[in-house]
Amino acid sequence: MHKKHSIPRETTSVIFLILLFVGVGLINASFLTVDNIILSLNSSVIYTVVAIGIAFVIITGEIDVSVGATLGMTAAVCGSMVRDGNVGMGIFWALLLGLFIGLINGFGIAILRIPSIIMTLGTNGIVRGLIYVYTDGKWIENIPLKFKALSQVRLFGSFTWFYFLTLLAVVLMHLFMTKSQVGRYFKAVGDNPNGANLLGIPVSGTKIIAFMLSGLFAAIGGIMYVSRVGFITPIAGIGYEMKVIAACVLGGISLTGGVGSLMGATIGAAIMASISRVLVFLGFPSDYDNTITGILLIVIVVFDAVFQANLAEKMRRQRLAAKIVHTQSVALEEAPDHE
Amino acid sequence: MNDCNQEAMLSIRGITKAFNTNKVLKGIDLDLQKGEVLGLIGGNGAGKSTLMKIVMGIYQPDDGIICIEGNQVRLNKPSVALAQGVYLVPQEPMLFPNMSVEENITMGFRENIKDLRKRLLSLIKQLEWDIDINRKAESLSIAEQQLVELLRGLMRNSRILILDEPTSSLTFNEVQSLFKIVGELKKKDISIIYITHRLTEVFEIASRVAIMRDGIITLQGPVEDFNREMLVKGLLPDQAEDKQNIRCKTKPIDYSTTDPVLVVDNLCGHGFSEVSLKVFPGEILGLAGVVGAGRTELATSIFGRDVICSGKVMLNGEDITSMSTRKVMDKGLSYVTEDRFLYGIFKTSDVSANITASNLKNMGRIFLNFKEERKITDHFVDAFSMKVTSRKQEMGSLSGGNQQKVVIARALATKPKLLILDEPTRGIDAAARGDVYTIIQALKAQGLAILLISSDMEEIVELSDRAISLFCGKVNKIFSKEEISQDNLIAATFGVIKGEVANA
Repeated sequence: MHKKHSIPRETTSVIFLILLFVGVGLINASFLTVDNIILSLNSSVIYTVVAIGIAFVIITGEIDVSVGATLGMTAAVCGSMVRDGNVGMGIFWALLLGLFIGLINGFGIAILRIPSIIMTLGTNGIVRGLIYVYTDGKWIENIPLKFKALSQVRLFGSFTWFYFLTLLAVVLMHLFMTKSQVGRYFKAVGDNPNGANLLGIPVSGTKIIAFMLSGLFAAIGGIMYVSRVGFITPIAGIGYEMKVIAACVLGGISLTGGVGSLMGATIGAAIMASISRVLVFLGFPSDYDNTITGILLIVIVVFDAVFQANLAEKMRRQRLAAKIVHTQSVALEEAPDHE
Repeated sequence: MNDCNQEAMLSIRGITKAFNTNKVLKGIDLDLQKGEVLGLIGGNGAGKSTLMKIVMGIYQPDDGIICIEGNQVRLNKPSVALAQGVYLVPQEPMLFPNMSVEENITMGFRENIKDLRKRLLSLIKQLEWDIDINRKAESLSIAEQQLVELLRGLMRNSRILILDEPTSSLTFNEVQSLFKIVGELKKKDISIIYITHRLTEVFEIASRVAIMRDGIITLQGPVEDFNREMLVKGLLPDQAEDKQNIRCKTKPIDYSTTDPVLVVDNLCGHGFSEVSLKVFPGEILGLAGVVGAGRTELATSIFGRDVICSGKVMLNGEDITSMSTRKVMDKGLSYVTEDRFLYGIFKTSDVSANITASNLKNMGRIFLNFKEERKITDHFVDAFSMKVTSRKQEMGSLSGGNQQKVVIARALATKPKLLILDEPTRGIDAAARGDVYTIIQALKAQGLAILLISSDMEEIVELSDRAISLFCGKVNKIFSKEEISQDNLIAATFGVIKGEVANA
C-alpha cells in the first residue's frame, strides 16, 4: 500500500505571496523592504478577521455575501456608541448584532433551505439599507482619539497589537476547527453532507453555527474598522465580501466545501492586502484594485473547478470499471441464434 | 402480531412506508438473530433500501415498530440509530473524500482523538487488515473505502451491521476478502443484514435468507432450506405464469435476408465490456439487467455521451463509433433516457417546444417555422393519444405517462432508424403503460428497430422479439423469442445461468 503525500494547498498560497513580493520588488525595490512587508501585514488585519468567519461558511459548502454590510452595520453601531462614550456597550452590541445577522442567514439557509447566495444577498441588502436608516445617511465622526489609538499600539517593532490579536484568533479558531471533535464537523458537512448526516452529525446546526461565526467575525472586523479608520460612512465595508471570498480561495479553500484551512485564509488575506499596495508601487491607479481581485478570484476558481471535475470523472470511471466481472462474455457472433 | 421477538437482536413488525401515493413498504416483518448473516434479496424497487433507511433512522415509517434486543425503539434520526448500535454501510461508500482514513473513521465521536487512534490501530491489528490510516479517502479504491466504512461501524461497537450491496463495485478477489471479514464479524456475535443482487453470494455467506418483492417479504428461512430455483421463484410476481400468453403475435423476422440496423461489436467502455449485439428493422431487442449492470452506460456510450474504449458501433453499415451526440442523432439514432426528470423534459416549456426540441435544425432557417411545429405536434398528440389541453400546455403539468409520450415523440421527430428506450415505463401508471406499449408495438410494425432497456422483466417478456441479459457489465445470455420468460430473465440478470455460477 503506497503512501500519498500531496502538497498542502496553503504552500501554493505562500509561494504566490513570496513571488508577489519578490516580483514587485524587482521592479520597485522599496516594495521588498521589512517596513513595507510589515505595513502590508498590518493592513491585512480586517480582511483576515472577516476571512476567518467566512472561511467556516465556505468550508461547509455555503457562501456569505453579507459580511460587507454586516461589517458596515456593526461599525456604525459600535462607532456611534463609542462616540457617545459607551465603549463597552458599543463592542457588546456590535458583536451581538453580528451573531444575530449570522443566525438569520443560517436559519434561512439550513432550515428554510434558501440557497445561500440568495439568502445572504437579501440580508446584505437589508442590512446595508438599515445602515442608512440608523445613521440618517450621515457619517459617524469624532471617534475619541483614545479609541482610534488602540489600532496604533505597536508590539515587537512595527507590528500593531491588532495584528497579534488577529493571529491569536486565527490560531485559536484553527485549533478549534482541526483538533476538537465538534470543530471537525464543518469540514465533514462541506465534504459530504449526506455522509455526515449518516454519522449522526447535525448538518443544519453546523451550518447555522458557521453563519453565526461569519457574522461574529464580521462584527469584530467592524469594531477594528472603527478604530483603524476613525469614521464610518454609510458605505463602510462595501466590497469586503469579494475581498475576503477571494482571500479564502487564494488561500486554498475550495468553494465546493470540505477543503482548506484558516491558515490558508490568513495568507490569502495578506495577499489581498498586498495587492492594493502593489498597484501603488507599480504606479497604477488604485482604481484597478477590485478588477484585479475579481480576475484573480475567477481564474483560481476555474482552475479548481477543472481539477475537481477531472477527479470526479476519474473516480466514476474507476467505480464503473470495478463493476465488470472478468469472465468470458457470451459470444454473440451467431446471434440471432435460431435462424 | 405486532409483538416483537424478545430473543432477536433486531425485530421489525408491520413496517409500512409510502412516498406520496406510492406504497413502497406494505407491512414488513423481519427478525435478525444475534451473530447471524441475513441475506436480503430483491429486485430494483422492491423496497430493500427504504427498509434499511428506516432502520438507520433516515426515513420514518408510517406504521409499525422496531425492537432492538426486545426493547422497542424510536429511530427518528441517524444519531439515535447509531447509539443503538446500528450501522449502515451504504452501497456507494459515503466517505469524506478530502479527509484521511483516520479522520473519516473517528468523525462524529466525542472521545479524545489520541484514545480513538489507539483503539482504531488495535482494531485494525486485531482484524489483520492492511490499511494506512494516513491516506486520503479520495485515493482509496472502492474496496478500501468499504473497509473504512466497516471500520467506522466496528469502532462504534455496532451490533447490527447493514451491508447494502457491498459487492456491487468489487472485483472477485475483493469479494472473497470481504466474505472472510464477514465470517470473522459473525464469530464476534455481530448481526449482519447482507443486501445483494447476486443469489450465489447468499449461499456462500448467509445463514438465513429473506426475499423482498413489491414491499413485502415473500420468503424467509434458513438458507439450507432453499435452492437457487426457489429463490428465483420468490422474486417472481405471483401471476407470472398467466402473463406470458398475452404477447402480441407478430410476423417473425427473416433474419437471413435482412440487414441489421445496429451492430455493436465487442464494445468496451466505462461500466461495460465486450458487448456485442445486433438490432434488426421491425424488431424489438430487449436488454435486461439490474441497475448497475452497465445498461445505461452502454446506451449513453452508443449515443455519444460517454467514452468508448474499444469496439465498434455500426448504424446501417456506417461506423458511428465515438461520434458526437448530434452526429449520432443525424445518422438516425434516438435515445429516450431513463431519467425523464433529469435529462428528458424541459419542464417549463410547452408541449410543442418539447417535441421539436431535438429537431430545431429542420424547423426553419432563422425564425422557427411554427406552422411546421404545429403540424408535427398535432401529429404526435393525435397518434399517441396524448391527454393535453393544448399544444401550449406546460410540460411540467402533464402526468408522467403523457410526459413520456412527449419524450418518445421528440425522439421520433428526427425520424430515426433506431430507437433506444431506456426504462420507458418507469414511474408511470398502468393505463399509460399500456398506451406506451401500444406505441412501441406500432413503431415496430412501421419497421423501426428498437433497443429496449429495462429492469422490468414483464416488460421485456411482453415486447421483445429477442433479448439479451447484461450482468456486471457483460452479456451473459442471449434469448430467442421462445426462451424469453420472466424466470429465465430474472435468473440471468441475477447472474444465475442454468444452475451454474456466473460470477466465478
